[in-house]
Amino acid sequence: MKVVIHVDPTRCRGHGICSLYFKDGVELDHWGYARTIDPPAQGRRAIAQARRAARACPNDAISYEVVETRTGDSLQSW
Amino acid sequence: MTTATIAEPGRSAVIGDDVGLILAGPTAAEGPEPLISFLSRSGAPPVFSRAGTLDALRLSGVQGRGGGAFPLWRKVQAALDAPGRPMLIVNCSESEPASRKDWTLCTLRPHLMLEGAVRLATLVGADEVVLHLHRGAAEPTDSLRHALLERREVMEGDPAWRLSSGPHGYVTGEASAVARYVHEGVAKPVFSSVPMARRGPSGRPTLVCNAETVAHVAVILRIGAEAWRSFGSESCPGPQLVTLAGAVPLPGSVVEVAGAPTIGEILRRAGVDDPPLAVLVGGYAGTWIRGHVAWRTPLEPTALARLGAFRGCGLLGVLPHGACGLRETARVTAFLAGETAGQCGPCVHGLPALAESVSRLARGTAGSRTVRRLRRTSNALVGSGACAHPDGVVHMVRSALDVFDYDVIRHRAGSPCPPADHPSLFPVPAVRAS
Repeated sequence: MKVVIHVDPTRCRGHGICSLYFKDGVELDHWGYARTIDPPAQGRRAIAQARRAARACPNDAISYEVVETRTGDSLQSW
Repeated sequence: MTTATIAEPGRSAVIGDDVGLILAGPTAAEGPEPLISFLSRSGAPPVFSRAGTLDALRLSGVQGRGGGAFPLWRKVQAALDAPGRPMLIVNCSESEPASRKDWTLCTLRPHLMLEGAVRLATLVGADEVVLHLHRGAAEPTDSLRHALLERREVMEGDPAWRLSSGPHGYVTGEASAVARYVHEGVAKPVFSSVPMARRGPSGRPTLVCNAETVAHVAVILRIGAEAWRSFGSESCPGPQLVTLAGAVPLPGSVVEVAGAPTIGEILRRAGVDDPPLAVLVGGYAGTWIRGHVAWRTPLEPTALARLGAFRGCGLLGVLPHGACGLRETARVTAFLAGETAGQCGPCVHGLPALAESVSRLARGTAGSRTVRRLRRTSNALVGSGACAHPDGVVHMVRSALDVFDYDVIRHRAGSPCPPADHPSLFPVPAVRAS
């Protein structure tokens, strides 16, 4: 199992709540906007944190996927 | 105004010449080529077969010519594999201010591109083809409109055609911005982790293809993938359309290049006798290369990649000796900064800051703080947006600092280039009429 986190930069307004909840998966850039840490932290705890971060965003800019590593097809960029 | 000349020795293509694959046909002065003339010159289109078409695209290795250089057949395959009826959008908008290849193609050779569009639409099962242009692009719009009327009278089994005119601008021509404009009238890039060929803004698989790419499809199916490949190089199969800009005798002229001639060979045939100071390769989000280095570099991806460059939209912008590379870079950067779609925070805040830093360097008022700020802003901008606009600007600026490193030192040491009252070498549209 692997957690993949997405930040939609067109929605992010720089509240920064996501990085409080999931500090090993999302960081804030120079202007305070969220960007993903690559690779993000993994594990059940990380999945729970990703979920919390996604729910906490007032602009719905954060989303996450939990991918089965064996069928990692959806991880391919294409 | 637009002429077309040359290519490789023995395979040169002038508009009005019979040798080129894309630009062959009547001269530019004769205007758009009529359908009758196109068909009598190149014969009736070959019989369509779905498997044969996809195979030909795969064998040809044709890549997106708008700048992305993504293999077309992969995009087509993704659209075929995805649920829903695919949409086909031909991006004729050519948002690169100095590029004229799609303008030339749509204005003077509309039927080649339209034939390619029909082939692609039939292949993926799209019932409608959208031809997307910028508002105010009168010549290509009129030419395409007329060409569609001609097709309607003669050809059977065409999909429905739609001409779409979107707002002016740089980022408005980005593929997802085009797809979004066609779908909901907003010409701004879309953030998505799913490729548009699988699921576009409308929810359907969406193919957005550059006009030149689509024209190549028609040629590939007419002469065969192998023959088409032989007009290019291993890393960039097929002929290329190249626009010449800056200090060339005819800025905005378009040439069809076969093989992988060096940039020097291409420029020499366009009337530039000696290596210039520098060449901007690939577009405004492209790469500055020192003139003498560019001169001996083949215009093909492998050789360009060694210099950290790419062919992009096929633009060669010539900076002559005596011009100030930093000043031209500052102008282009300021233009690009103003062209942000205004959606993503880093782009909105970072690009104007970057443009200001570059402008200070050019004016000779940059201290070490400015240089630090430039570096920090650049680092923060890379990979920050929904589209690659900030990345492209940073790439161009970094290449400028590399190529014009001596100027950076000289400008900072208190002897900047004298203020230039000459207009910009490269077109930087001031007004954004949307």
